[in-house]
Amino acid sequence: MATAPPKARTAAPAAPAPRKEGALRRFWPQYVAITPFFLLFAVFLLGPILFSLYLSFQKWDGLGDMEFVGLRNYAYLVEDGKFWLALRNTVLIWIFSTVPTLFLALVVANLLHSAVRFSSFYRIAYFVPSVTSIVAIAIFFGSVFSTQAGLANAILGALGAAPVPWLVDEWTIKFVIATVICWQWVGYNALIYLAGLQAIPAELYEAARIDGAGPVQTFFRITIPQLRPIILFTVVISTITGMQTFTEPQVIFSSNVANAANSGGPGNAGLTAVLYFYNQAFTNSDYGYGAAIAWAVFLVILVFTVINWRLVSRRDRAGAR
Amino acid sequence: MDLSRTAVHSRTAVHSRRAVLRGTLLAIAAAGVGGAAAACGGRDTASNELTLWYWGGGLSDAVVADAVAKFKPTALVPSVIGGDFKQKLVTTMNGRKFVPDITGIKGENIASMLAEADRFIDLNTLGADRLAAQYVGWKWKEGTSRDGKLIGFPIDVGPTALFYRSDLFAQAGLPSEPAQVTAAISTWDGFFQAGRRLVQAVPGSFVVDSVVGLFKIGVGQSGKRFIDADNHFIGDRPHVRTAWDRAVKAIDMGVAAPQLENQDKTAARGNGTFACSPGAAWSALDIKNEAPDTAGKWRVAPMPEGPSNDGGSFLALTRECRNPQLAFEIITWLLGPDNQARGFTDAALFPTAPAAYKLPALTAGDPFFGGQSTIEVFGPAAENVPAAYEAPADAAVYQPFADEITLVWSKGKDRDAAWTDAVAAARQIAERQGVS
Repeated sequence: MATAPPKARTAAPAAPAPRKEGALRRFWPQYVAITPFFLLFAVFLLGPILFSLYLSFQKWDGLGDMEFVGLRNYAYLVEDGKFWLALRNTVLIWIFSTVPTLFLALVVANLLHSAVRFSSFYRIAYFVPSVTSIVAIAIFFGSVFSTQAGLANAILGALGAAPVPWLVDEWTIKFVIATVICWQWVGYNALIYLAGLQAIPAELYEAARIDGAGPVQTFFRITIPQLRPIILFTVVISTITGMQTFTEPQVIFSSNVANAANSGGPGNAGLTAVLYFYNQAFTNSDYGYGAAIAWAVFLVILVFTVINWRLVSRRDRAGAR
Repeated sequence: MDLSRTAVHSRTAVHSRRAVLRGTLLAIAAAGVGGAAAACGGRDTASNELTLWYWGGGLSDAVVADAVAKFKPTALVPSVIGGDFKQKLVTTMNGRKFVPDITGIKGENIASMLAEADRFIDLNTLGADRLAAQYVGWKWKEGTSRDGKLIGFPIDVGPTALFYRSDLFAQAGLPSEPAQVTAAISTWDGFFQAGRRLVQAVPGSFVVDSVVGLFKIGVGQSGKRFIDADNHFIGDRPHVRTAWDRAVKAIDMGVAAPQLENQDKTAARGNGTFACSPGAAWSALDIKNEAPDTAGKWRVAPMPEGPSNDGGSFLALTRECRNPQLAFEIITWLLGPDNQARGFTDAALFPTAPAAYKLPALTAGDPFFGGQSTIEVFGPAAENVPAAYEAPADAAVYQPFADEITLVWSKGKDRDAAWTDAVAAARQIAERQGVS
């Protein structure tokens, strides 16, 4: 996430670089200056990525010799009901978390935008969750949603409602995980939207007001269209991170039974694709199969990102035509 | 950009800056190479250094500290490794640098390490075979590869028993003192009868805290697991089915508590929801920590129809070990009966050397258990656990059974469908792992 913009920036001047001889010699300090990033990238990202691709065609227990198995890991993947269940869970949790997160973020951004007093305080307060340890948050929410001793059911009980088995039922499990993600990322997205809101020229709003537009009309006709590129950015980032949801179910459903893999609670309802990958590779020592899952998840993220990109930017192109 | 602009204005400035830059790079490179060389050199020449890896609670820290003092001038360097221990060990072993001389291996990983026995030293070549009789046989076998190499020297075991609340048993009119309970609940039928009576007499109280645990214990009692020594899948055989049916029976009779997670589980230990909790010796520590208010009310009785085991780790010497003879001496000192007794006191590590069961640290009455000397239950249990062959893929193949019995437990899934699904999924995983 953080590495993407600088990469784009360094790539841009490299493309039209003068083909003149001696360019390397003349600009070598600049090249040296950008080299550390690419060295680190090659060693810690590109290398492992390529290795995992290679691994996905092997059977390997992590210590012994590798055995080339061709596409067998992928063939197993297609037949593996649990993998598809994990993908379904991931997509559902992503929808349950991303839609409210981005909606709330937009609302919060508008509130922050119009806040007159203590605006810095509010901004910091909303941003704090996204710099808090996910593990701590997940443990906290795990307690809040305990069936008998949890805060959520205590509140329901005070209102006279029956307790909900939050961490047992298939749908409430997803709801709890989505809630954790939502709580953590509303503030972060709100700050991004806020930056976008502040870049919208005040003249547009003035003109709208003169034309007699109400606040709702202004919001949908000016704010949203002007924010479109920023919304696109947040949707894409949310897709990439949401499809890799791992820590929340890992912590909430971690069992203290040593050799039992964390299977995401009853009915595997909280088993996300990355959690499944982690279990296969690191708990079951089936690294080849784990790598195959990881690459399948990558493909899914790619597809979803492209779909989102097209959906959110469609109207832009339609408008331009 | 800043640099090129200065180049235009002043050549001398750029020269000096370049010199500084070049100098810095050289210095970094030199430091890197030098550091690496120093590290390698230090490791290869200082053969009187031995490194020891274990995880928090894996050994008694006090015993380890004493070993460091005792084996001077050899520098024994212990490291408590946090996080995913097995993963860090495997990664380091693959890197072939800074591999620990002595390392812990968790019980759940021993099967996969035995498959790579040539990465470790056969402790029998260092004289371990002479000590075999002093340790519980089945655990010794668990650390031995199929061609007879001892890879893992047993640190501890987890013999299972029934932890029960004597006050609630008495309230239900059941026998409540360990001797009586042992006599009354010697079979699973006796267990279920007692359970039925307790559930009726004390509403909201149950005798099975975890149906998954009950299933696991049942498989452990059978002496067989999910894959046999010829690498065939046996998860659909009667020994698994019997354990499964018993777990289902506990659900259907209503003697099993509802499935609880996190805080709820902690609360249930203290508020009488769990009147009985079949579990390993080490879970005594969990009960003490989670339900301190119930001190004096718990007792321990033998598991009906014989003990099983849950957990227990090993110490091993890697192939890279720089002084195998001395390292082996350190292991046997760390895991001698006296120090195992200290490990029991410090870190709840149940000894693997039966000689330790006669030492005061273990025979003393435990006030939390009403002054009962729990070793009278756990000692014989530890010695009588049936030995079972565990394949590297065993835990993975077991998983679908745990998942499906959980569905029966928490969601009331159809029993037969759950069994069929579990066997089908387990078979698929077995096939993926190369089991026929």
